[in-house]
Amino acid sequence: MKVLFFDAPYFGKVELAKKTLEYILKKKYKIIALYASVQFCNQLDVVKKQLEAAGIAWVTSKADRTHVTSQVLGCDNYHSSLNLKAQADAYLYVGDGKFHPLALVYGQKDLSKDEVKEIICNDPIEKKFELLDILHIKTILKKYKGSLLKFLNATTVGVLITVKPGQEQMKPSFYLEKKFPNKKFYYFLDNVVSFDQLENFPFVKVWVNTTCPRVGFDDQLKFEKGVINLNDALEAEAILGKDSAMNGL
Amino acid sequence: MGYDLELSKVVQEITKSKGKLVCIQLPDGLKPQAMMIVDTIQAETGARVLIWLGSNFGACDIPLGVKNLGVDLMICWGHNPFHKKVGW
Repeated sequence: MKVLFFDAPYFGKVELAKKTLEYILKKKYKIIALYASVQFCNQLDVVKKQLEAAGIAWVTSKADRTHVTSQVLGCDNYHSSLNLKAQADAYLYVGDGKFHPLALVYGQKDLSKDEVKEIICNDPIEKKFELLDILHIKTILKKYKGSLLKFLNATTVGVLITVKPGQEQMKPSFYLEKKFPNKKFYYFLDNVVSFDQLENFPFVKVWVNTTCPRVGFDDQLKFEKGVINLNDALEAEAILGKDSAMNGL
Repeated sequence: MGYDLELSKVVQEITKSKGKLVCIQLPDGLKPQAMMIVDTIQAETGARVLIWLGSNFGACDIPLGVKNLGVDLMICWGHNPFHKKVGW
């Protein structure tokens, strides 16, 4: 079966709202890391020119799983996946909704307080300007930190694996057994995570998510026992020991 | 709506592939357009169109089992190809 993708690009004008530009200038930001969702990432020429005309440099990158430069996916919620080598004073997200720019916020949870940047959101449809920062995900990150602690202390752990080919990470999840030989891991298969089924397995003391990495964050509060993402499970002790934005909340 | 669904290109692709059974998958924001998309495809190509009801979080989220129904072509809007990597 052939699968075809159509980006559904936005056909209106993609530019920065006056307020967005005013804010960047007011903050005296000199270098901006520029990203957009797929509907907007191929139409950033006007935005780039606006920044350049205001004396603001822009940098960008091609994230690990994306198809084009400047595109950000919801799963780019770990800083390293962006592959951004250059330094920037802040992020600028061009697009609508919060799902994509929140990935940039989550990506800063393990950075030190000095490295944390704000995310300036510019919605070309509504001509709206909005700011997002680590405080927007404070409740989630606090529980996430608690889930990391739970994981380190737990002896029976449930591992969630999806059958969706694009998200499935079964083999990488088996590495948990090597890394934590004193814990017993039980593996659960599903398509979309069935949150209403979790309580039917009371022997699970904490969950490890290997499906979409946003499940570990956006759905954190749906997991009574707590959940952490696979890569964080593998580094749980080091993450909790860091002088990071999450640990400082 | 403001988004280009590129329907003439979609029709061309279906015609070229001689697809008779097509499944369309839309992100939540585009789901209200399903009726217009189905009607257009059916009128222009004669293919039968199935609408995926469930999630469409990204190109990582292609429905399973559709192939078993004899679907010739899966058409997904709002995403471009996803480059999966081992782990995150």
